[in-house]
Amino acid sequence: MTNGWIDIKNTDVMLIMGGNPAENHPCGFKWAIEAKKNRNAKIISVDPRFTRTSSVADHYVQIRAGSDIAFLGGIINYIVNNGRINKEYVVNYTNAALIIKEGFKLPDDGIFSGYDPQGMKYDVSSWNYEEGGDLTPKDATAFAATASVLVKPPAPPAAKGAAVHAAPAAKPPKVAPKPAAGAAPPAIVATLPPNVAYDRSLQHERCVYQLLKKQYSKYTPEMVSKITGADPEKFLKAAEIFTSIRDKGDTKKVGTIIYSVGWTQHTYGAQIIRTAAMIQLLMGNVGRTGGGVNALRGHSNIQGATDMAGIFDNLPGYLKVPTPADKDFGSYTKRITPTSAKPKEWDSFNYWSNTPKFAVSLMKALYGDAAKKENDWAFDYLPKIDRKYSWVEIWDGMYRGKVKGLMAWGMNGVAIGPNSQKNIDALKKADWLVVCDIYPEETSSFWQSPGITEDEQKKINTTVYRLPGAGFAEKDGTFVNSARWLKWKDKALDPPGDAKLDHEILASIFLKVKQLYQQEKDKPGTKFPDAILNLTWQYVNPKVPTFTEMAKELNGKALADLKDDKTGQEIKAGQQLPGFAWLKDDGTTMCGNWLYSGSWTEAGAQTQRRGQEDPSGLGIYPNYAWSWPANRRVLYNRASCDINGKPWDADRMQVRWNDGQQKWVGNDVPDFKVDSHPKDHMGPFIMTPEGTGRLFVPLAGMADGPFPEHYEPMESPVDNLFHPKQNNNPVVKKYTTDRDKYGTPKDGFDVVCTTYRLTEHYHYWTKNNPVNSQLVPEPFIEISEDMAKEKGINGGDKLKVTSARGEYYGKAMVTKRIKALTIADKKIYPIGIPIHWAYRGIREDRERKAGNTTYLNPINMLSPTAIDPNAYTPEFKGFLVKVEKA
Amino acid sequence: MSNGPLEIKAISGHSGPVPGQGVSRDYDVCKLVDTTTCIGCKACEVACLEWNGYEFRETTFDNTYQTMPDTAWNFWNLIRFNEHENSDGTISWLMRKDQCMHCEDPGCLAACPAEGAIVQYQNGIVDFNQANCIGCQYCVTGCPFDIPKFNSVTKKVYKCTLCSDRVGAGLEPACIKACPTGCLHFGSKDDMKALANKRVDQLKANTSYKDAGVYDPDGVGGTHVIYVLHDAKNPEKYGGLPADPRVPLMVRLWKGPLKWLGGMGMIFGVLGVFMHRVKYGPKHVDRVEEKRP
Amino acid sequence: MSGGAVVRPSVAVPEEQVIRYTFPERVGHWINGIAYTYLLATGLALFTPHMYWLAAVLGGGPTIRFWHPWMGVLYMITIFWMHSTWKKDMVTTAEDREWQKHMKDYVENRDDKMPPQHRFNAGQKQFWWVMFYASLILLLTGIVMWFPEEVPPGVHWVLPIVVFIHSATALITIAGFLIHVYMSVFVTPGSMKGMLDGQVSADWARTHHRLWYEKITGRRK
Repeated sequence: MTNGWIDIKNTDVMLIMGGNPAENHPCGFKWAIEAKKNRNAKIISVDPRFTRTSSVADHYVQIRAGSDIAFLGGIINYIVNNGRINKEYVVNYTNAALIIKEGFKLPDDGIFSGYDPQGMKYDVSSWNYEEGGDLTPKDATAFAATASVLVKPPAPPAAKGAAVHAAPAAKPPKVAPKPAAGAAPPAIVATLPPNVAYDRSLQHERCVYQLLKKQYSKYTPEMVSKITGADPEKFLKAAEIFTSIRDKGDTKKVGTIIYSVGWTQHTYGAQIIRTAAMIQLLMGNVGRTGGGVNALRGHSNIQGATDMAGIFDNLPGYLKVPTPADKDFGSYTKRITPTSAKPKEWDSFNYWSNTPKFAVSLMKALYGDAAKKENDWAFDYLPKIDRKYSWVEIWDGMYRGKVKGLMAWGMNGVAIGPNSQKNIDALKKADWLVVCDIYPEETSSFWQSPGITEDEQKKINTTVYRLPGAGFAEKDGTFVNSARWLKWKDKALDPPGDAKLDHEILASIFLKVKQLYQQEKDKPGTKFPDAILNLTWQYVNPKVPTFTEMAKELNGKALADLKDDKTGQEIKAGQQLPGFAWLKDDGTTMCGNWLYSGSWTEAGAQTQRRGQEDPSGLGIYPNYAWSWPANRRVLYNRASCDINGKPWDADRMQVRWNDGQQKWVGNDVPDFKVDSHPKDHMGPFIMTPEGTGRLFVPLAGMADGPFPEHYEPMESPVDNLFHPKQNNNPVVKKYTTDRDKYGTPKDGFDVVCTTYRLTEHYHYWTKNNPVNSQLVPEPFIEISEDMAKEKGINGGDKLKVTSARGEYYGKAMVTKRIKALTIADKKIYPIGIPIHWAYRGIREDRERKAGNTTYLNPINMLSPTAIDPNAYTPEFKGFLVKVEKA
Repeated sequence: MSNGPLEIKAISGHSGPVPGQGVSRDYDVCKLVDTTTCIGCKACEVACLEWNGYEFRETTFDNTYQTMPDTAWNFWNLIRFNEHENSDGTISWLMRKDQCMHCEDPGCLAACPAEGAIVQYQNGIVDFNQANCIGCQYCVTGCPFDIPKFNSVTKKVYKCTLCSDRVGAGLEPACIKACPTGCLHFGSKDDMKALANKRVDQLKANTSYKDAGVYDPDGVGGTHVIYVLHDAKNPEKYGGLPADPRVPLMVRLWKGPLKWLGGMGMIFGVLGVFMHRVKYGPKHVDRVEEKRP
Repeated sequence: MSGGAVVRPSVAVPEEQVIRYTFPERVGHWINGIAYTYLLATGLALFTPHMYWLAAVLGGGPTIRFWHPWMGVLYMITIFWMHSTWKKDMVTTAEDREWQKHMKDYVENRDDKMPPQHRFNAGQKQFWWVMFYASLILLLTGIVMWFPEEVPPGVHWVLPIVVFIHSATALITIAGFLIHVYMSVFVTPGSMKGMLDGQVSADWARTHHRLWYEKITGRRK
């Protein structure tokens, strides 16, 4: 989330789409209710089905799963046509005014400039800014003139020799990491120009704003309706309610967009979120109290997992993993450290320019004294990624016989899919499988999955090790919630029986491996023991490191006496660091994750704070837990003020420029260079090289285009109405084994299926809990009344749902909450299936023992192996199936 | 007796008006269920189950999100899910937390023959004391909300106690504590009524729910569980909430005039025949001899 | 009170006896009577708090709640038993209508003005039919009240009606029962003996049920 849970209470209007927070985040949803009750805020719910969230919404629009970009693109078109933008914000805080190079082509035929159909990838060199200065016409509108009043005199040109960079994530917390340049030959890598041409009047035909206007002009209400199936009136009403906060030039009101995996789980998921970010930038809602683009994470600590390198090409703190092309530490950090690229007269903080400090401190945390300047900070110890090792790739590799073993930790690979049968078959081919979980779950029981006979079981040679881990209530430590809060919790009870803390198990494995390396390091054939032997492991009890020790490592400490020349503040060697501003690239600091620096200082564990004070009344609670970065509650909060540093809404002030003190002050910690005068025109989006929010993402920021474009899901019931020849995302990643099949309406797969969770269950393990099983006892499939009528289905009838990959069985829930849709003049039936059931659990074990295995298939038997090229997320929403009575 | 120290002053992680702030819990308690902000998460169902120590009962899928068709002797708190197509083509998915309404004029208590089986506390809580319950289920007869449920093994009737045990200790009921959206409130009847009316005014002024209203039916003297409904004109939409619940007329007649008349009848009947005997004496048998001439 | 007929003390003539009730009739009657008495006591306990002490006397609330319906079953069996035995004797006749016209005389013991009667006089017949039909109503409503948990929630509205009818009907039977007991014990000496021993004196029979007497003895006056 750019903002936080509590901050939702400050909003005037919520667009909740691609998420069903009332269902999946009921506790956090209280703040949406607070906004309704205390501010008369409106909720707009856009979803393939009328959900629990829709039940308390002011306006509901049903769309087809997978048509989100069309809907949001329509809103952009509405914003542009009706002037529902915050002009000052758009001109100064986004890259709307920046001018794009000649040669860039919009995807009128579905393809941006630079496409290589053979390799299914883009040459992104034309997706770049034009070099140059201020191209604002002299006779520009009065508005452009006002906006320029504060522009400070030209500064000396930025340093030459802009480095190669891979356009770091604009918003690391929520936008999935972008693919690194990877192993691609680094010969010709385009870079952003340091001095970007711009036109503050937004009139230049190649300025981002004009391109954007052109790109979304085809997203008319009629087309939106044809693609999404939404009633045009209802679409327009949604667009009107949401954008009405900018009616008649009002800049005071604010709106928020709230989403979840309903947006990420598409073959263009990252682009859906981009579209939302563009809407919020155009309306000037990012950085503001009650605004932002807010991702609701699906687990209590998924934010923490992502921060701590949950994705294969990340190191902690969203640092990139090196590739084989990175010859040494210097070339590696040069590649991943952006230099500023902006209009000459403007300023850019470009915070990622500190990347080397974060990277060296991380190496010191990993390898301690073994990481020295002399040995290039032990750069050779770091693994290099030669290709994509995303989740689906791992299972694909195992299915192809390349991956021989798997350690599954706190995740149920078979059930979470996609394409469960492929995963089950992959495990049959593996040599070994280690599963650490709190229940006997589907993955470690893959050999008991429905359809495997006893004879077949005997032929499976995979050795399965089941390790009893500890549940969340059985360990201390922090959760990092969707609002980026690190919040310490104490364990409630000890793990039962033989169960052990997960990190205790991990430590014992590591120590055993280290011991083996130690014993055999001199033996011929032992390869590269240093990375293992030199790994820092300085815990009081090496077998059971404590969470306290690890949390302090993540925060980082001084390795030598440090002094801040400006303030005179000193830190002694061995002391905990107060924050990431102290990190050094000379080896005098160590830090496990720069974003968490400041969470466990000499003042103690900030994550354990429980201060109830909220002086502003805005729900900032500065002394409650600790929010990364630097305890900021709202990211990019400089944007909550106009160019003069005055809040857009004084009642909802996040920060402001205090002319007396000559610095930024406020209710929140300024997410900005604290002494940067408004006249410096430093961009509020300090994590981009431009300093502006990106309406247009240049270069390799997004694999599939600088502007989001509507593509159909991998399996879609209709041709893409914009460009039938380019139906899907041109750079979508598909797979090619015999298990990777994709269905079409011609094969009879003509029902659009989407999957989701229920309040009553949590993924695949609450079927082991009697109370949850009582609340919703068995699998069901939601279908519309007209579909039920056509197929003669009654509520409670047993249904069989088939996709190109497999079958799923459940009982019919015939509901008014899903309606047939008219897509491209074709009647389409949508259905929805909750994900929670499979073949292990109270009811499941009973049924399996009784030999009734038909109804125990995991839902992901149906879903396709097709992934988003940016975030590698599979397409669990909007695939094709057929439905019949079982 | 004052519960001063246990009155709510502030709630953590919560800004703005605190529901139940400074509310005295000595007398006249009331639950307010704001159905317009209920998301049907069933936290109240689970909290009720766990606080009262009831265990798993088998359920089956029944074409609805509703946990089971009706409340049960060991499942006192049920969210009723109702899909409703509105006249303007929109859909409503109405969720109502169903439980004992704790009537001011409780039909169950009126109908109950067993001494001390049903108690109405000064604070408005109507509680069942199973030790005194004889299992006749007259309470079922008297309840216009179909709340009391019979356990055929123990031969006793059970229902929501409004957590009289918690309330007695100065705590809020378990369901209130568990509610994540704050659609459940707890406090004095006056305060809850005021809060409900305020919410209704807000709904009427700012939303399309022009028929919003408070459900606090007069027919049973008002209830100690009140609802804010989007459409107070049609409470039946919310899973059979009666529009005008009353203690059934027959129960009133039975426990009123009939009881009175019956008692009087019996007393005067015995008295009557006794007087008859005194006045007329016994009948005589005619002897054959006397009849013969 | 003795079951014997009251005769004038100055005359000492051995009484001639006639069979009034067979043994099965008497057994049926008394089982019915005992059952009714229990139902009356327990029913009153459930009817009004003023009589709830009866529940304590009879074993406690749950106990009477358990036995009341079962006793009702026993009661109904004997009702049907009596019905099968007496239904012919209970048919209304021309004499009954005549008797009814003289009801006031009967009440005020001017028995010489009463027309001769068959085995049961019109009052007894009325009592029987009231009890018989009332018992049917009590049976039907009682079954519902025995298992209210089996009544589907949608038709719970029927419960208060059923309960009311059961109570009101029971009150009607109480009125009949009161008169019945009073008449037999206090007003008509000899009738208790008839129900206990099965015999009544010929005089008794002739006095109260002359037509029956003449029928079973073949005598005419």
